[in-house]
Amino acid sequence: MAHSSIVSLEQEERETLRAFITDQLGRGNLELPLLPVVANQVLLLSSDPDSEVAQFSSLIQQDQALAGQIIRIANSPAYAPRAPIVSLQQAITWLGLNMLAGLAFSVSVQSGVFHTTGYEQEVRGLWRHALATGLFGKEIARRIRHNVENAFLCGLLHTIGKPAILHLLSQAPGRSTERFSWRTVESLFDDFHVTAGSKLGAAWQLPDPVQETIRYYQDDQYHQASSPTKGAMITCLAHHLASVMLGNSSHDEKSLLTLPVVQDLNFYPEDMTALLELSETIKPSVECFLS
Amino acid sequence: MTLSTAVDLIVIGSGPAGQKAAIQGAKAGKRVALIEQTRQVGGACVYQGTIPSKTLRESALQMVRFLQATEVFEFRMRDDIKITNLMTRLDRVMRAHGEFMKAQLTRNGIDCFHGRAGFVSDHEVRIQHLDGSATFVTAPVIVMATGSRPRVPDNIPIDHEHILDSDSILSLVYLPKSLTVLGGGVIASEYASIFALLGVQVTMVDTADRPLKFLDQELTEEFCGSFEKTGGHYRGGQNIHTVQWDGRSHVTTVLESGETLESEKVLVALGRVSNLEHLNLQATGIQPTTRGLISVNTHCQTTVPHIYAVGDVIGPPSLASCSMEQGRRAVCHALGLNSGVSPEHIPMGIYTIPEMSSVGLSEQDAIAKHGGALVGRARFHEIARGQISGMTNGLLKMVADPKGDLLLGVHIVGEGATELIHIGQMGLLHHMPIDRFIDNIFNFPTLAEAYRVAALDIAKQRQH
Repeated sequence: MAHSSIVSLEQEERETLRAFITDQLGRGNLELPLLPVVANQVLLLSSDPDSEVAQFSSLIQQDQALAGQIIRIANSPAYAPRAPIVSLQQAITWLGLNMLAGLAFSVSVQSGVFHTTGYEQEVRGLWRHALATGLFGKEIARRIRHNVENAFLCGLLHTIGKPAILHLLSQAPGRSTERFSWRTVESLFDDFHVTAGSKLGAAWQLPDPVQETIRYYQDDQYHQASSPTKGAMITCLAHHLASVMLGNSSHDEKSLLTLPVVQDLNFYPEDMTALLELSETIKPSVECFLS
Repeated sequence: MTLSTAVDLIVIGSGPAGQKAAIQGAKAGKRVALIEQTRQVGGACVYQGTIPSKTLRESALQMVRFLQATEVFEFRMRDDIKITNLMTRLDRVMRAHGEFMKAQLTRNGIDCFHGRAGFVSDHEVRIQHLDGSATFVTAPVIVMATGSRPRVPDNIPIDHEHILDSDSILSLVYLPKSLTVLGGGVIASEYASIFALLGVQVTMVDTADRPLKFLDQELTEEFCGSFEKTGGHYRGGQNIHTVQWDGRSHVTTVLESGETLESEKVLVALGRVSNLEHLNLQATGIQPTTRGLISVNTHCQTTVPHIYAVGDVIGPPSLASCSMEQGRRAVCHALGLNSGVSPEHIPMGIYTIPEMSSVGLSEQDAIAKHGGALVGRARFHEIARGQISGMTNGLLKMVADPKGDLLLGVHIVGEGATELIHIGQMGLLHHMPIDRFIDNIFNFPTLAEAYRVAALDIAKQRQH
């Protein structure tokens, strides 16, 4: 009896929150978090073919915490520098402009808009998965001899709608100090993260292939994506691989083979084995970004 | 014990060579199994090679035509033009071509298998499917047509991000400012000229003193002149020492001469390698050559007589047109069918900008074979149609015997060259005298008139 009343309370809460989020997302004047200035500028700069290292360096220097994080990542064993990295210029050279842009964007967004009190651990889990997806995406693209340039950012931001939902929940009337059960939050993610992510992607003017990936990365959707970058399809598989690597997937190595996206990418068992073996290098890279 | 399905003919690979082999087998009333490891039929020709690069080329030319029209219409090009914008028609073209081929195979009753083929013995092939399951087929005749992929040289770290091959360059998101093209062959020259026309600063680097060295020298000189007019540079006689991305914004190519080239991207087009690695050739006793090719005789038979190899796996000329014919003739031979007269004069088409095409003997070859040659030339800008179309370059060169009587070869550079060449091909096949091109009337104004002009140029040089 007691159990069923808890269930019904949870259901009630879920329905209330669902109605709230539906209402929020349906509004024309939805208040989405603003893209942090540094992240916005990083994004602009990274898509400008005339941008130079010095511009990136001076931009990142504006945010001390971000600069520190970048130096730390460049010095981490995952990137094994030949000599200690002591300057931002050196870090940029070592990590590469594209990777750095993705990282700077990610760090800046994480520590800024999506710092949601009460869910620190879970948000960290979301970023861990997003980073792993980005890194797997690059490897998938490489394996099909496809240009890898967009794959990291597509993977990194494909579930940006999830922290956006948390952000919305923090604004739920009379609930600002209450922590909802993670099961409830996850159920809301399932229902709304694509819509929320799409709105955020449009509001932040993310690159077209990234916006398309946010909309269509799921198993039953990627066929709708039309960008020749194949970002949605690549991210779909990268998402699964990241889930398997992080131990939160219902799939194992064998059942992954039956996924339609594996078939559509024409990956044979040995290709999938080779991709899964990359977990050994991707996992430490992810942890190093997060630590 | 695993059961094998018995068929009359197994064809491995559905590119131009495999497809024609399978169709020839089916048309002869045989039961044919066609095995393709990718999801679509057509091979690299359709999905990574000929069709995508020609679509990009066509888009580049359309863009230039638009730019030329700016005198008439007021508009400006987008600054952020992306390759994906230029490839908008590609999906449609590929889908249509794929569907057409699939329908053709189905219509001919060919059993298509999707999977990776590997020999179990010289008569049996295992087909590994994506889900890990396997099917086995046996046949008295097997044709290998597994094609090729871009070669990855040991000293060049192709990352498909900054250092690309001819597959990954097709998925570039934006046009780079500068591109170094390593290689001087067909693929290198085609992409170099396309990107140069699109406004990219292109430098070609190769060991040969000129690109496309197998072509008539005048053609390549004309090509180089045109390439340089669009801002391109050809650096011949150079060996590559290292290629490395600097981690910031450029790829540094260090030549053995010590010279350094910097560019935003590098395209590596240093040949192709045959797709043999999954075939388990040791089960057949066939040994690839040291260059990783399959040796065949004139009938495309390997050292195991009932196993044939066609297309890119046997090496040059690696032209889709030749591969198709090899596939057809191999199956005719295997089945004891008359394959018709062996093609004597196969034209070569190169889709550079401008196009180049060649059939028969080059001037140099004619001199070597006949002790001399008379050569007639027609420049497109001197032909009415060339003037109308605003052609500033283009050359048709006819090679005749030392007396100037008999046609020995035709070499064309300029737009439409790959179509125009077929008049010359027919002339060669019918041993046509040079005067026949003078006596006949061509449509006016057409580029075909260039044949008449070149023939007159030869006639003028005759010693009477």
